[in-house]
Amino acid sequence: MLSRVVFSAAAAAAPCLKNAALLGPGILQATRIFHTGRPSLAPVPPLPEHGGKVRLGLIPEEFFQFLYPKTGVTGPYVLGTGLILYFLSKEIYVITAETFSAISTIGLLIYVVKKYGASIGEFADKLNEQKIAQLEEVKQASIKQIQDAIDMEKSQQALVHKRHYLFDVQRNNIAMALELTYRERLHRVYKEVKNRLDYHISVQNMMSLKSKSRQ
Amino acid sequence: MNENLFASFTTPTMMGLPIVILIILFPSILFPSPNRLINNRLISIQQWLIQLTSKQMLSIHNYKGQTWALMLMSLILFIGSTNLLGLLPHSFTPTTQLSMNLGMAIPLWAGTVITGFRHKTKASLAHFLPQGTPLLLIPMLVIIETISLFIQPMALAVRLTANITAGHLLIHLIGGATLVLMDISTATASITFTILILLTILEFAVALIQAYVFTLLVSLYLHDNT
Repeated sequence: MLSRVVFSAAAAAAPCLKNAALLGPGILQATRIFHTGRPSLAPVPPLPEHGGKVRLGLIPEEFFQFLYPKTGVTGPYVLGTGLILYFLSKEIYVITAETFSAISTIGLLIYVVKKYGASIGEFADKLNEQKIAQLEEVKQASIKQIQDAIDMEKSQQALVHKRHYLFDVQRNNIAMALELTYRERLHRVYKEVKNRLDYHISVQNMMSLKSKSRQ
Repeated sequence: MNENLFASFTTPTMMGLPIVILIILFPSILFPSPNRLINNRLISIQQWLIQLTSKQMLSIHNYKGQTWALMLMSLILFIGSTNLLGLLPHSFTPTTQLSMNLGMAIPLWAGTVITGFRHKTKASLAHFLPQGTPLLLIPMLVIIETISLFIQPMALAVRLTANITAGHLLIHLIGGATLVLMDISTATASITFTILILLTILEFAVALIQAYVFTLLVSLYLHDNT
């Protein structure tokens, strides 16, 4: 839809582009038949593990399999050699200065690819692995953090259940102190009463002794 | 030496239709856009290279200069990839055309200068006079600084054009020399072929270096003006 807007804006700006603007949406709708892939972007289908197999770096393996029933193993190579010799002998491909620069450039590229190709591939794999390892580390750290929080919460809950022991001990202490004070006072009362009664008894004894000695 | 040495630098046409636009657009296919967390090896390496280059190149700028990041990174990618693709046999390099390099250099240079004059007028005008010049030399020095300012876009464009064109011409000439010497004396031809290989290595380096230099200079002009 955005391209329709772009086309109409361009038509407004330059009248000579108006024909293109009229044709534009038509071409857009016509090319929709080529959109054969999946239209949705997520979930993205997984990448294949290895690319397609090739021989000589250029020619897919399927071509060799295609020619195998008719010409055997050497078929494609003979075809290639024949084509090259045909182009050279009929001078469809002319050997010029550019041939030598082609030989040197392509030779250099093949040398570099053969020598450093595997190590560059491993480097790319290492980059991806580092990215995954970093994200995995973050995931593990947050899992650990949440697990620690859960454990602490559980221990706090257990502590809450055991809190009544504290209050029982305090209650027992206070009850003992009250009992102690009560018995102390009881004993004092008993002592005071005994004191008073002893006084009365000793006063009585003295009175009786005095009356006895006067007779 | 009867052939036209500049035949490979003409605008490429196919059956009378200019296809130079397709050739300029082609390097964009070689930089696929990353659309998942873990991409294939090509995209991973390109991402890593772009991160490395952008960190190194944008570290000297302040906030205003760093808004040019997209422009500078696409510039270095375009010039680098175009130059490298031009080293393949029978290919056309758009950066050998002065018209295209002027089209890249003049708008970018003008953008930096106009940004500087709009936002920091006094500082931009002060660039015309270096510090500590004797009083008598001031008029001449201002004229010289003005000339050097206006030569900046020309130098940018011509530097890139001349380097790449000269490299391609040298490869062509030495290849031709090897071709001719093959019939005369094979040993000399093999020496010349070795020279050709060394030159090709140099051209790969020059392709990347020129891209870097172009972008670096634009970023320096930007740094002066933000």
